[in-house]
Amino acid sequence: MNPSVITDNLIYFLVGPWPQGPLGGAALTVILTVLSAALSGVLGLVFGVLLSVLRGPWLAVLRLGLGLFRAIPVLMLIFWIYFLAPIAFGLDVPGVGSVVAALSLIGGAYLAHTVHAGIEALPRGQWAAASALGLSRRQTLWLVVAPQVLPRMAPSVVNQWIALTKDTSLAYVIGVAELSFVATQVSNRVMVYPAEIYLFVAVLYFILCAGFELAAGRLARRYRSLPA
Amino acid sequence: MFDGFLAPRYIGWMIDGLGVTLGLSALASVIALVLGFVLCVLRLSPSRPVAGLAAAWLSAFRNTPLLVQLFFWYFGVSALLPDSLMAWLNAPHRIGVEAFGAPWPPFEMLAGLLGLSLYSAAFMAEEFRAGIYSVAPGQTAAGRALGMTSTQIWISIILPQAVRIARAPLAGQVMNVVKNSSLTMAIGLAELSYAARQVETETFQAFQAFGLATLFYIGAVALIGGFSQLAWGRSSPPTGAAR
Repeated sequence: MNPSVITDNLIYFLVGPWPQGPLGGAALTVILTVLSAALSGVLGLVFGVLLSVLRGPWLAVLRLGLGLFRAIPVLMLIFWIYFLAPIAFGLDVPGVGSVVAALSLIGGAYLAHTVHAGIEALPRGQWAAASALGLSRRQTLWLVVAPQVLPRMAPSVVNQWIALTKDTSLAYVIGVAELSFVATQVSNRVMVYPAEIYLFVAVLYFILCAGFELAAGRLARRYRSLPA
Repeated sequence: MFDGFLAPRYIGWMIDGLGVTLGLSALASVIALVLGFVLCVLRLSPSRPVAGLAAAWLSAFRNTPLLVQLFFWYFGVSALLPDSLMAWLNAPHRIGVEAFGAPWPPFEMLAGLLGLSLYSAAFMAEEFRAGIYSVAPGQTAAGRALGMTSTQIWISIILPQAVRIARAPLAGQVMNVVKNSSLTMAIGLAELSYAARQVETETFQAFQAFGLATLFYIGAVALIGGFSQLAWGRSSPPTGAAR
Protein backbone atom coordinates (compact mmCIF):
# COMPACT_ATOMS: atom_id res chain seq x y z
CA MET A 1 0.00 0.00 0.00
CA ASN A 2 1.31 3.40 -0.94
CA PRO A 3 -0.68 6.35 0.41
CA SER A 4 1.37 9.03 -1.36
CA VAL A 5 -0.42 8.44 -4.68
CA ILE A 6 -3.62 9.49 -2.87
CA THR A 7 -2.24 12.46 -0.94
CA ASP A 8 -0.36 13.79 -4.01
CA ASN A 9 -3.54 13.76 -6.10
CA LEU A 10 -6.11 14.47 -3.39
CA ILE A 11 -7.20 17.86 -4.74
CA TYR A 12 -7.51 16.40 -8.24
CA PHE A 13 -9.74 13.57 -6.94
CA LEU A 14 -11.97 16.07 -5.14
CA VAL A 15 -12.39 18.90 -7.69
CA GLY A 16 -10.57 17.83 -10.88
CA PRO A 17 -8.60 20.53 -12.76
CA TRP A 18 -10.63 23.33 -11.06
CA PRO A 19 -9.94 26.30 -10.61
CA GLN A 20 -7.61 26.29 -13.66
CA GLY A 21 -10.07 24.18 -15.65
CA PRO A 22 -13.67 23.00 -15.35
CA LEU A 23 -14.93 21.52 -12.08
CA GLY A 24 -14.58 17.73 -11.93
CA GLY A 25 -13.89 14.83 -9.57
CA ALA A 26 -16.01 14.18 -6.51
CA ALA A 27 -17.53 17.68 -6.69
CA LEU A 28 -18.91 16.96 -10.18
CA THR A 29 -20.22 13.60 -8.93
CA VAL A 30 -22.17 15.42 -6.22
CA ILE A 31 -23.51 17.97 -8.72
CA LEU A 32 -24.61 15.22 -11.13
CA THR A 33 -26.33 13.41 -8.25
CA VAL A 34 -28.15 16.49 -6.95
CA LEU A 35 -29.33 17.54 -10.43
CA SER A 36 -30.59 14.09 -11.38
CA ALA A 37 -32.15 13.51 -7.95
CA ALA A 38 -34.14 16.75 -8.26
CA LEU A 39 -35.23 16.08 -11.86
CA SER A 40 -36.07 12.43 -11.22
CA GLY A 41 -38.14 13.56 -8.21
CA VAL A 42 -40.21 15.88 -10.40
CA LEU A 43 -40.62 13.23 -13.13
CA GLY A 44 -41.46 10.55 -10.55
CA LEU A 45 -44.17 12.72 -8.99
CA VAL A 46 -45.73 13.63 -12.33
CA PHE A 47 -45.67 10.09 -13.73
CA GLY A 48 -46.77 8.59 -10.40
CA VAL A 49 -49.81 10.87 -10.18
CA LEU A 50 -50.59 10.14 -13.84
CA LEU A 51 -50.41 6.38 -13.13
CA SER A 52 -53.11 6.93 -10.51
CA VAL A 53 -55.42 9.22 -12.46
CA LEU A 54 -55.09 8.04 -16.09
CA ARG A 55 -57.40 5.35 -17.44
CA GLY A 56 -57.59 3.25 -20.62
CA PRO A 57 -55.10 3.44 -23.50
CA TRP A 58 -53.14 6.39 -22.09
CA LEU A 59 -52.43 4.42 -18.93
CA ALA A 60 -51.20 1.50 -21.06
CA VAL A 61 -48.89 3.80 -23.03
CA LEU A 62 -47.48 5.32 -19.83
CA ARG A 63 -46.94 1.89 -18.26
CA LEU A 64 -45.15 0.66 -21.39
CA GLY A 65 -42.93 3.75 -21.47
CA LEU A 66 -41.98 3.46 -17.81
CA GLY A 67 -41.40 -0.28 -18.24
CA LEU A 68 -38.97 0.37 -21.10
CA PHE A 69 -36.93 2.81 -19.03
CA ARG A 70 -36.66 0.25 -16.26
CA ALA A 71 -35.76 -2.58 -18.65
CA ILE A 72 -32.76 -1.02 -20.38
CA PRO A 73 -29.33 -0.57 -18.83
CA VAL A 74 -28.47 2.99 -17.78
CA LEU A 75 -25.46 2.76 -20.07
CA MET A 76 -27.68 2.15 -23.13
CA LEU A 77 -29.84 5.19 -22.35
CA ILE A 78 -26.74 7.37 -21.95
CA PHE A 79 -25.56 6.17 -25.39
CA TRP A 80 -28.97 6.87 -26.93
CA ILE A 81 -29.02 10.42 -25.65
CA TYR A 82 -25.36 11.19 -26.23
CA PHE A 83 -24.94 9.68 -29.69
CA LEU A 84 -28.44 9.90 -31.12
CA ALA A 85 -29.90 13.20 -29.93
CA PRO A 86 -27.45 15.10 -32.21
CA ILE A 87 -28.41 12.95 -35.23
CA ALA A 88 -32.13 12.74 -34.57
CA PHE A 89 -32.91 16.25 -33.37
CA GLY A 90 -29.79 18.18 -34.32
CA LEU A 91 -29.25 18.81 -30.62
CA ASP A 92 -25.68 18.69 -29.45
CA VAL A 93 -26.17 17.44 -25.92
CA PRO A 94 -23.08 17.89 -23.76
CA GLY A 95 -21.88 14.90 -21.72
CA VAL A 96 -23.12 16.27 -18.41
CA GLY A 97 -26.57 16.94 -19.90
CA SER A 98 -26.77 13.42 -21.38
CA VAL A 99 -25.96 11.81 -18.06
CA VAL A 100 -28.40 13.95 -16.06
CA ALA A 101 -31.14 13.31 -18.63
CA ALA A 102 -30.56 9.53 -18.62
CA LEU A 103 -30.38 9.22 -14.83
CA SER A 104 -33.45 11.45 -14.34
CA LEU A 105 -35.56 9.44 -16.79
CA ILE A 106 -34.59 6.10 -15.25
CA GLY A 107 -34.82 7.38 -11.66
CA GLY A 108 -38.17 8.99 -12.48
CA ALA A 109 -39.49 5.72 -13.94
CA TYR A 110 -38.62 3.88 -10.72
CA LEU A 111 -39.99 6.65 -8.47
CA ALA A 112 -43.25 6.82 -10.42
CA HIS A 113 -44.18 3.38 -9.14
CA THR A 114 -43.25 4.34 -5.58
CA VAL A 115 -45.50 7.41 -5.80
CA HIS A 116 -48.28 5.37 -7.42
CA ALA A 117 -48.07 2.65 -4.75
CA GLY A 118 -48.17 5.31 -2.02
CA ILE A 119 -51.29 6.89 -3.49
CA GLU A 120 -53.02 3.51 -3.94
CA ALA A 121 -52.20 2.58 -0.33
CA LEU A 122 -54.51 5.33 0.96
CA PRO A 123 -58.04 4.14 1.68
CA ARG A 124 -60.35 5.04 -1.25
CA GLY A 125 -62.75 6.49 1.32
CA GLN A 126 -60.48 9.50 1.71
CA TRP A 127 -61.13 10.55 -1.90
CA ALA A 128 -64.88 10.15 -1.29
CA ALA A 129 -64.66 12.07 1.97
CA ALA A 130 -62.73 14.91 0.33
CA SER A 131 -65.23 15.03 -2.51
CA ALA A 132 -68.10 15.12 0.02
CA LEU A 133 -66.38 18.14 1.60
CA GLY A 134 -66.47 19.85 -1.78
CA LEU A 135 -62.74 19.52 -2.64
CA SER A 136 -61.81 19.16 -6.29
CA ARG A 137 -59.64 16.22 -7.40
CA ARG A 138 -56.61 18.50 -7.64
CA GLN A 139 -57.25 19.92 -4.15
CA THR A 140 -57.65 16.40 -2.79
CA LEU A 141 -54.33 15.41 -4.32
CA TRP A 142 -52.43 18.35 -2.84
CA LEU A 143 -54.20 18.84 0.50
CA VAL A 144 -55.18 15.29 1.46
CA VAL A 145 -53.11 12.74 -0.45
CA ALA A 146 -49.69 14.40 -0.79
CA PRO A 147 -49.16 15.24 2.90
CA GLN A 148 -49.79 11.60 3.83
CA VAL A 149 -48.01 9.89 0.95
CA LEU A 150 -44.83 11.97 0.58
CA PRO A 151 -43.31 11.38 4.06
CA ARG A 152 -43.91 7.65 3.76
CA MET A 153 -42.06 7.54 0.45
CA ALA A 154 -38.99 9.12 1.95
CA PRO A 155 -37.02 5.88 2.56
CA SER A 156 -37.44 4.58 -0.99
CA VAL A 157 -36.64 8.01 -2.39
CA VAL A 158 -33.39 8.03 -0.44
CA ASN A 159 -32.63 4.53 -1.75
CA GLN A 160 -33.08 5.91 -5.26
CA TRP A 161 -30.50 8.58 -4.44
CA ILE A 162 -28.00 5.87 -3.50
CA ALA A 163 -28.58 4.19 -6.87
CA LEU A 164 -28.25 7.57 -8.62
CA THR A 165 -24.98 8.38 -6.85
CA LYS A 166 -23.52 5.07 -8.00
CA ASP A 167 -24.93 5.46 -11.50
CA THR A 168 -23.21 8.84 -11.97
CA SER A 169 -20.01 6.80 -12.35
CA LEU A 170 -21.32 5.73 -15.79
CA ALA A 171 -20.60 9.26 -17.01
CA TYR A 172 -17.09 7.82 -17.35
CA VAL A 173 -18.02 6.08 -20.61
CA ILE A 174 -18.70 9.36 -22.41
CA GLY A 175 -15.71 11.14 -20.91
CA VAL A 176 -17.38 13.33 -18.29
CA ALA A 177 -14.65 14.13 -15.75
CA GLU A 178 -16.46 12.97 -12.60
CA LEU A 179 -14.84 10.92 -9.83
CA SER A 180 -14.46 7.59 -11.69
CA PHE A 181 -13.10 9.25 -14.81
CA VAL A 182 -10.64 11.31 -12.80
CA ALA A 183 -9.55 8.13 -11.00
CA THR A 184 -8.74 6.37 -14.28
CA GLN A 185 -6.87 9.49 -15.44
CA VAL A 186 -4.69 9.45 -12.33
CA SER A 187 -4.23 5.69 -12.59
CA ASN A 188 -3.16 5.91 -16.23
CA ARG A 189 -0.80 8.78 -15.50
CA VAL A 190 1.08 7.28 -12.53
CA MET A 191 0.89 3.69 -13.94
CA VAL A 192 1.36 2.16 -10.47
CA TYR A 193 -0.85 1.53 -7.43
CA PRO A 194 -4.23 1.15 -9.21
CA ALA A 195 -5.53 -0.83 -6.20
CA GLU A 196 -4.90 2.10 -3.86
CA ILE A 197 -6.53 4.57 -6.23
CA TYR A 198 -9.71 2.55 -6.78
CA LEU A 199 -10.02 1.67 -3.09
CA PHE A 200 -9.78 5.34 -2.17
CA VAL A 201 -12.36 6.30 -4.80
CA ALA A 202 -14.64 3.53 -3.52
CA VAL A 203 -14.32 4.99 -0.01
CA LEU A 204 -15.37 8.44 -1.31
CA TYR A 205 -18.46 6.93 -2.98
CA PHE A 206 -19.14 4.89 0.16
CA ILE A 207 -19.17 8.03 2.32
CA LEU A 208 -21.76 9.61 0.02
CA CYS A 209 -23.96 6.51 -0.25
CA ALA A 210 -23.68 5.24 3.33
CA GLY A 211 -24.76 8.70 4.50
CA PHE A 212 -27.93 8.30 2.46
CA GLU A 213 -28.37 4.72 3.72
CA LEU A 214 -28.23 5.90 7.36
CA ALA A 215 -30.77 8.58 6.55
CA ALA A 216 -33.05 6.03 4.86
CA GLY A 217 -32.92 3.74 7.91
CA ARG A 218 -33.79 6.63 10.25
CA LEU A 219 -36.68 7.76 8.09
CA ALA A 220 -38.01 4.21 7.79
CA ARG A 221 -37.98 3.78 11.56
CA ARG A 222 -39.64 7.15 12.11
CA TYR A 223 -42.51 6.54 9.70
CA ARG A 224 -43.05 2.94 10.70
CA SER A 225 -44.25 4.21 14.08
CA LEU A 226 -46.88 6.45 12.47
CA PRO A 227 -50.49 5.21 12.44
CA ALA A 228 -51.39 3.78 9.04
CA MET B 1 -29.15 7.88 -40.18
CA PHE B 2 -31.70 5.24 -41.17
CA ASP B 3 -29.75 4.15 -44.26
CA GLY B 4 -30.55 0.47 -44.31
CA PHE B 5 -29.86 -2.11 -41.68
CA LEU B 6 -26.52 -3.38 -40.38
CA ALA B 7 -24.43 -5.59 -42.63
CA PRO B 8 -24.61 -9.30 -41.66
CA ARG B 9 -21.02 -9.15 -40.38
CA TYR B 10 -21.98 -6.55 -37.77
CA ILE B 11 -25.15 -8.38 -36.80
CA GLY B 12 -22.82 -11.31 -36.13
CA TRP B 13 -20.76 -9.14 -33.77
CA MET B 14 -23.90 -8.11 -31.92
CA ILE B 15 -25.10 -11.69 -31.58
CA ASP B 16 -21.69 -12.74 -30.26
CA GLY B 17 -21.97 -9.88 -27.76
CA LEU B 18 -25.44 -11.03 -26.73
CA GLY B 19 -24.03 -14.52 -26.13
CA VAL B 20 -21.33 -13.14 -23.83
CA THR B 21 -23.90 -11.00 -21.98
CA LEU B 22 -26.24 -13.95 -21.45
CA GLY B 23 -23.48 -16.36 -20.43
CA LEU B 24 -21.89 -13.87 -18.05
CA SER B 25 -25.26 -12.93 -16.53
CA ALA B 26 -26.32 -16.55 -16.06
CA LEU B 27 -23.06 -17.53 -14.34
CA ALA B 28 -22.98 -14.38 -12.20
CA SER B 29 -26.62 -14.87 -11.17
CA VAL B 30 -26.02 -18.44 -10.01
CA ILE B 31 -22.89 -17.47 -8.05
CA ALA B 32 -24.65 -14.39 -6.60
CA LEU B 33 -27.70 -16.42 -5.51
CA VAL B 34 -25.57 -18.97 -3.64
CA LEU B 35 -23.21 -16.39 -2.18
CA GLY B 36 -26.10 -14.06 -1.35
CA PHE B 37 -27.81 -16.81 0.63
CA VAL B 38 -24.61 -17.56 2.54
CA LEU B 39 -24.09 -13.84 3.28
CA CYS B 40 -27.68 -13.57 4.50
CA VAL B 41 -27.18 -16.51 6.88
CA LEU B 42 -23.96 -14.93 8.20
CA ARG B 43 -25.74 -11.57 8.54
CA LEU B 44 -28.39 -13.21 10.74
CA SER B 45 -25.84 -15.14 12.79
CA PRO B 46 -26.37 -14.97 16.58
CA SER B 47 -22.63 -14.25 16.92
CA ARG B 48 -22.25 -10.46 16.97
CA PRO B 49 -18.79 -10.30 15.33
CA VAL B 50 -19.91 -12.56 12.47
CA ALA B 51 -23.13 -10.61 11.93
CA GLY B 52 -21.25 -7.32 12.14
CA LEU B 53 -18.63 -8.37 9.61
CA ALA B 54 -21.31 -9.60 7.22
CA ALA B 55 -23.21 -6.31 7.61
CA ALA B 56 -20.03 -4.32 6.85
CA TRP B 57 -19.32 -6.51 3.80
CA LEU B 58 -22.87 -6.03 2.44
CA SER B 59 -22.76 -2.28 3.07
CA ALA B 60 -19.39 -1.92 1.33
CA PHE B 61 -20.54 -3.77 -1.80
CA ARG B 62 -23.97 -2.10 -1.96
CA ASN B 63 -22.74 1.44 -1.42
CA THR B 64 -19.96 1.67 -4.01
CA PRO B 65 -20.47 1.79 -7.79
CA LEU B 66 -20.13 -1.45 -9.71
CA LEU B 67 -17.90 0.37 -12.21
CA VAL B 68 -15.34 1.22 -9.51
CA GLN B 69 -15.51 -2.34 -8.17
CA LEU B 70 -14.81 -3.68 -11.67
CA PHE B 71 -11.84 -1.32 -12.07
CA PHE B 72 -10.56 -2.52 -8.72
CA TRP B 73 -10.76 -6.20 -9.67
CA TYR B 74 -9.41 -5.66 -13.17
CA PHE B 75 -6.64 -3.07 -12.68
CA GLY B 76 -6.08 -3.20 -8.93
CA VAL B 77 -5.92 -6.91 -8.35
CA SER B 78 -3.74 -7.54 -11.39
CA ALA B 79 -1.21 -5.12 -9.82
CA LEU B 80 -1.44 -6.78 -6.40
CA LEU B 81 -1.17 -10.40 -7.52
CA PRO B 82 2.31 -11.85 -8.02
CA ASP B 83 3.52 -11.70 -11.63
CA SER B 84 3.76 -15.47 -11.90
CA LEU B 85 0.08 -15.90 -11.02
CA MET B 86 -0.97 -13.17 -13.49
CA ALA B 87 1.09 -14.86 -16.20
CA TRP B 88 -0.64 -18.15 -15.39
CA LEU B 89 -4.09 -16.49 -15.47
CA ASN B 90 -3.38 -14.83 -18.81
CA ALA B 91 -1.96 -17.94 -20.45
CA PRO B 92 -4.52 -20.25 -22.05
CA HIS B 93 -5.38 -23.44 -20.18
CA ARG B 94 -7.79 -26.18 -20.98
CA ILE B 95 -10.59 -26.33 -18.46
CA GLY B 96 -12.74 -29.36 -17.86
CA VAL B 97 -12.70 -32.37 -20.11
CA GLU B 98 -11.63 -32.27 -23.74
CA ALA B 99 -15.18 -32.88 -24.95
CA PHE B 100 -16.39 -29.48 -23.75
CA GLY B 101 -13.27 -27.79 -25.11
CA ALA B 102 -14.25 -24.51 -23.48
CA PRO B 103 -11.55 -21.93 -24.10
CA TRP B 104 -9.73 -20.42 -21.13
CA PRO B 105 -11.52 -17.15 -20.33
CA PRO B 106 -9.55 -13.93 -20.79
CA PHE B 107 -8.67 -12.02 -17.61
CA GLU B 108 -11.35 -9.35 -18.24
CA MET B 109 -13.94 -12.14 -18.22
CA LEU B 110 -12.67 -13.46 -14.87
CA ALA B 111 -12.56 -9.97 -13.36
CA GLY B 112 -15.98 -9.11 -14.79
CA LEU B 113 -17.55 -12.30 -13.48
CA LEU B 114 -16.00 -11.82 -10.04
CA GLY B 115 -17.04 -8.16 -9.83
CA LEU B 116 -20.58 -8.69 -11.09
CA SER B 117 -21.13 -11.74 -8.83
CA LEU B 118 -19.89 -10.07 -5.65
CA TYR B 119 -21.88 -6.89 -6.32
CA SER B 120 -25.10 -8.76 -7.09
CA ALA B 121 -24.65 -11.16 -4.15
CA ALA B 122 -24.91 -8.23 -1.72
CA PHE B 123 -28.31 -7.26 -3.17
CA MET B 124 -29.55 -10.85 -3.27
CA ALA B 125 -28.56 -11.27 0.40
CA GLU B 126 -30.81 -8.34 1.30
CA GLU B 127 -33.71 -9.85 -0.66
CA PHE B 128 -33.30 -13.15 1.22
CA ARG B 129 -33.16 -11.24 4.50
CA ALA B 130 -36.31 -9.29 3.70
CA GLY B 131 -38.02 -12.61 2.90
CA ILE B 132 -36.95 -14.11 6.21
CA TYR B 133 -38.06 -11.03 8.16
CA SER B 134 -41.49 -11.15 6.58
CA VAL B 135 -42.23 -14.57 8.13
CA ALA B 136 -44.21 -13.73 11.26
CA PRO B 137 -42.13 -14.19 14.45
CA GLY B 138 -45.09 -15.96 16.07
CA GLN B 139 -44.38 -18.93 13.79
CA THR B 140 -40.97 -19.46 15.39
CA ALA B 141 -42.60 -19.38 18.81
CA ALA B 142 -45.26 -21.82 17.61
CA GLY B 143 -42.58 -24.17 16.28
CA ARG B 144 -40.77 -24.04 19.60
CA ALA B 145 -44.01 -24.74 21.47
CA LEU B 146 -44.38 -27.87 19.34
CA GLY B 147 -40.93 -28.96 20.53
CA MET B 148 -39.05 -28.35 17.25
CA THR B 149 -35.32 -27.59 17.33
CA SER B 150 -34.15 -24.33 15.77
CA THR B 151 -32.71 -26.22 12.79
CA GLN B 152 -36.10 -27.83 12.21
CA ILE B 153 -37.81 -24.47 12.55
CA TRP B 154 -35.47 -22.93 9.95
CA ILE B 155 -35.74 -25.76 7.46
CA SER B 156 -39.41 -26.60 7.64
CA ILE B 157 -41.04 -23.31 8.68
CA ILE B 158 -39.03 -20.19 7.92
CA LEU B 159 -37.04 -20.96 4.76
CA PRO B 160 -39.85 -22.40 2.60
CA GLN B 161 -41.97 -19.29 3.21
CA ALA B 162 -39.05 -16.88 2.98
CA VAL B 163 -37.93 -18.27 -0.38
CA ARG B 164 -41.48 -18.06 -1.72
CA ILE B 165 -41.67 -14.40 -0.68
CA ALA B 166 -38.16 -13.57 -1.92
CA ARG B 167 -38.26 -15.27 -5.34
CA ALA B 168 -40.00 -12.45 -7.24
CA PRO B 169 -37.64 -9.78 -5.85
CA LEU B 170 -34.76 -12.15 -6.63
CA ALA B 171 -35.97 -12.41 -10.23
CA GLY B 172 -35.86 -8.61 -10.25
CA GLN B 173 -32.25 -8.82 -9.11
CA VAL B 174 -31.45 -11.26 -11.94
CA MET B 175 -32.81 -8.61 -14.34
CA ASN B 176 -30.44 -6.15 -12.69
CA VAL B 177 -27.55 -8.57 -13.28
CA VAL B 178 -28.33 -8.58 -17.01
CA LYS B 179 -28.50 -4.78 -17.11
CA ASN B 180 -25.42 -4.33 -14.92
CA SER B 181 -23.39 -6.73 -17.06
CA SER B 182 -23.24 -3.84 -19.56
CA LEU B 183 -20.70 -2.11 -17.30
CA THR B 184 -18.10 -4.80 -18.01
CA MET B 185 -17.54 -3.10 -21.37
CA ALA B 186 -15.48 -0.56 -19.40
CA ILE B 187 -12.88 -3.25 -18.66
CA GLY B 188 -12.87 -4.39 -22.27
CA LEU B 189 -15.15 -7.40 -22.08
CA ALA B 190 -16.71 -7.89 -25.52
CA GLU B 191 -20.32 -8.15 -24.39
CA LEU B 192 -23.42 -6.61 -25.98
CA SER B 193 -22.83 -2.92 -25.11
CA TYR B 194 -19.19 -3.22 -26.15
CA ALA B 195 -20.25 -4.78 -29.45
CA ALA B 196 -22.82 -2.02 -30.03
CA ARG B 197 -20.19 0.64 -29.42
CA GLN B 198 -17.76 -1.16 -31.76
CA VAL B 199 -20.34 -1.43 -34.53
CA GLU B 200 -21.27 2.23 -34.06
CA THR B 201 -17.61 3.26 -34.36
CA GLU B 202 -17.10 1.20 -37.53
CA THR B 203 -20.33 1.93 -39.38
CA PHE B 204 -21.62 5.24 -37.92
CA GLN B 205 -25.00 3.48 -37.84
CA ALA B 206 -25.60 4.52 -34.23
CA PHE B 207 -29.38 4.13 -34.45
CA GLN B 208 -29.22 0.56 -35.74
CA ALA B 209 -26.44 -0.54 -33.38
CA PHE B 210 -27.92 0.85 -30.17
CA GLY B 211 -31.44 -0.06 -31.30
CA LEU B 212 -30.55 -3.72 -31.79
CA ALA B 213 -28.65 -3.86 -28.46
CA THR B 214 -31.59 -2.20 -26.67
CA LEU B 215 -34.00 -4.73 -28.19
CA PHE B 216 -31.76 -7.59 -27.04
CA TYR B 217 -31.64 -6.21 -23.48
CA ILE B 218 -35.41 -5.63 -23.36
CA GLY B 219 -35.94 -9.15 -24.71
CA ALA B 220 -33.70 -10.72 -22.07
CA VAL B 221 -35.30 -8.75 -19.22
CA ALA B 222 -38.81 -9.49 -20.53
CA LEU B 223 -37.99 -13.22 -20.67
CA ILE B 224 -36.98 -13.21 -17.00
CA GLY B 225 -40.12 -11.23 -16.10
CA GLY B 226 -42.28 -13.59 -18.16
CA PHE B 227 -40.75 -16.63 -16.49
CA SER B 228 -41.34 -15.11 -13.04
CA GLN B 229 -44.96 -14.42 -13.95
CA LEU B 230 -45.65 -17.85 -15.45
CA ALA B 231 -43.90 -19.82 -12.73
CA TRP B 232 -45.09 -17.91 -9.70
CA GLY B 233 -48.11 -15.99 -10.90
CA ARG B 234 -46.73 -12.63 -9.93
CA SER B 235 -47.69 -9.81 -12.25
CA SER B 236 -44.06 -8.73 -12.37
CA PRO B 237 -41.09 -8.58 -10.07
CA PRO B 238 -41.34 -5.60 -7.75
CA THR B 239 -40.53 -2.31 -9.31
CA GLY B 240 -38.60 -0.66 -6.54
CA ALA B 241 -35.78 -3.23 -6.44
CA ALA B 242 -32.57 -1.67 -5.16
CA ARG B 243 -29.83 -1.63 -7.71
